[in-house]
Amino acid sequence: MKKNKTMIAAFALPATCLFVLIFVYPVIRTVFMSFFSIQEITDSFSSWVFNGIGNYKALLGNALYRTSWINLLKIFFIGGAVSLGVSLLLAAILKSGVKLKGFWQAVIYMPNIISAVAMATMWIQYVFNSTYGFLHNFFKALGLESLAKIQWLAPDMKFAALLIAYCFGTIGHYMLIWLSGMERISPDLYEASSIDGASKVQQFFHITLPLLRSMLKTNLTMWAISCSGFFIWSKLFSPITADTSTIVPMIYMYEKLFGAANTDEVTRDAGSAAAIGVMLCIFVVVMFLLTNKAIKDDDIEI
Amino acid sequence: MTKNKRRHGLNLSGQLKLVPGYLVLSAWVSFTFVVLFWVVGASLSTTGDIFRGTIFDFSTGLHFENYSRAWVGSNVAVYFTNSLIYAVISCTLLILLCAPFAYVLVRHRFFCSRLIKTGLAAASGVPIIMVIIPLYMIIARAGLLKDEMSNRIVLITLFVGTKVPYTTIFLQPYFDSVSRAYEEAASIDGCHPIRAFWQIVFPMVQGGLITVTIFNFINIWNEYFLSLLFVNSEKLRPVALGLFSMINGMQVSGDWSGLFASVMIVFAPTFLIYVFLSKYIIGGLTGGVKG
Repeated sequence: MKKNKTMIAAFALPATCLFVLIFVYPVIRTVFMSFFSIQEITDSFSSWVFNGIGNYKALLGNALYRTSWINLLKIFFIGGAVSLGVSLLLAAILKSGVKLKGFWQAVIYMPNIISAVAMATMWIQYVFNSTYGFLHNFFKALGLESLAKIQWLAPDMKFAALLIAYCFGTIGHYMLIWLSGMERISPDLYEASSIDGASKVQQFFHITLPLLRSMLKTNLTMWAISCSGFFIWSKLFSPITADTSTIVPMIYMYEKLFGAANTDEVTRDAGSAAAIGVMLCIFVVVMFLLTNKAIKDDDIEI
Repeated sequence: MTKNKRRHGLNLSGQLKLVPGYLVLSAWVSFTFVVLFWVVGASLSTTGDIFRGTIFDFSTGLHFENYSRAWVGSNVAVYFTNSLIYAVISCTLLILLCAPFAYVLVRHRFFCSRLIKTGLAAASGVPIIMVIIPLYMIIARAGLLKDEMSNRIVLITLFVGTKVPYTTIFLQPYFDSVSRAYEEAASIDGCHPIRAFWQIVFPMVQGGLITVTIFNFINIWNEYFLSLLFVNSEKLRPVALGLFSMINGMQVSGDWSGLFASVMIVFAPTFLIYVFLSKYIIGGLTGGVKG
């Protein structure tokens, strides 16, 4: 027993310490900081000014910050519907008995292993390019001149372009999660229903979908987490100054922390940056709770 | 037997019904390949050809010098080495820290063990910006970003620290699936539990260790946000950050073929890992615990 105790201490202590140091303590401190006015991130505690919920009030009163949240919610809802919907469709196709399943899923998942910077570069510099780009040439070849003329990176189309490129990269991941859920559904159910004359499409809506509810919960929570950290894609679509069409809370937070090119719009304040972090955290928690409330646990055993 | 027969009989008409499915998959996969081939083509072409839309003519031959120009002139070699150092050291440390951690959390109950488990699960839902502000404050005030060596250590510590929850949670079911009989036998033979872990249990969860290391490696290789904040000099930049600064410099240099060559260099390592080890990646995601 004593030997076990040494082992537990030796095995658990280093990782626990690191976890407390890098997660627990900073999270508590961020919440604490969000109630203070802190001009420079490196200011010592004595120069912090208590501000109550002033940071939250000021942020919510700021038009650019509100825009950043509207963009985030658009990414969450529109992007989420597209990403989870298309990935479910692809998973259903893969499950329907197509040949070369391993090949298809490997290629569709691949964007997930590519650096977001490299991925976004391919989209911005090639797919969306208005002179030699893929979409331009593709629509031109089909004779759809009006579609070929779309300036994907112009202010009015930029957000749509960003969303398409981002979703494309995430779909493979969610597809695999859906697929793993489908694989757990007993084949007997399909067997029995096809004897009763159910078509593949009917089977999908009456067997597969209802049994994937717990997967939907997982996927929605994961989607909320990845949306809350949305940063790099936005940065790549608007590299120098954040513009209103692509700004998200993380970008706003970054400018609060380190200053922005458009200083008149965003003043530096580490306390507000912390408040943005807290709000993003609340977003994830609220989405998690809503998902759990809206989607009842499986009452059917798989 | 009857089942096989029926499947066989349905084969042709069954595959015919799947045509719409094949079309969707082919369209999706073709698009991916077209984009990739174009980028490969552009990286071997010239900036002029890219803008004329004639990259696949290769009228002036294959321009492999784009790669050497990116590698040396644009500092990609430096970024590449940095990313490699960060990823290899972080992945090793993560396994050395998290494998024993996951093991004791699965096997033993001890002071705060339930709290730790809940904390780890909660941490995977915490946006990274909840932790970086105080960390930056402490690290910058301590002057740890001024010196090259300490800056590197800071980065690796952060990479490791932020991945502890994910790695530990990932490894737990693998340890759970190992029978306790092995440790019991070892302890009867007088083997110390620490030794029993490293020599008997640790090698048995190889599959999980490899899978989580692949995920960690790819994530750290592609990491952007932490490096953006915590890297103080150009010499310490990892690939994602280096590539980003190159893209911003493009307006000045105008070297598009060099940019695409750099994209290919950044993409190559994770792609190679994927080609050879995709069964671990896909298996790890679809949750097949292989002991």
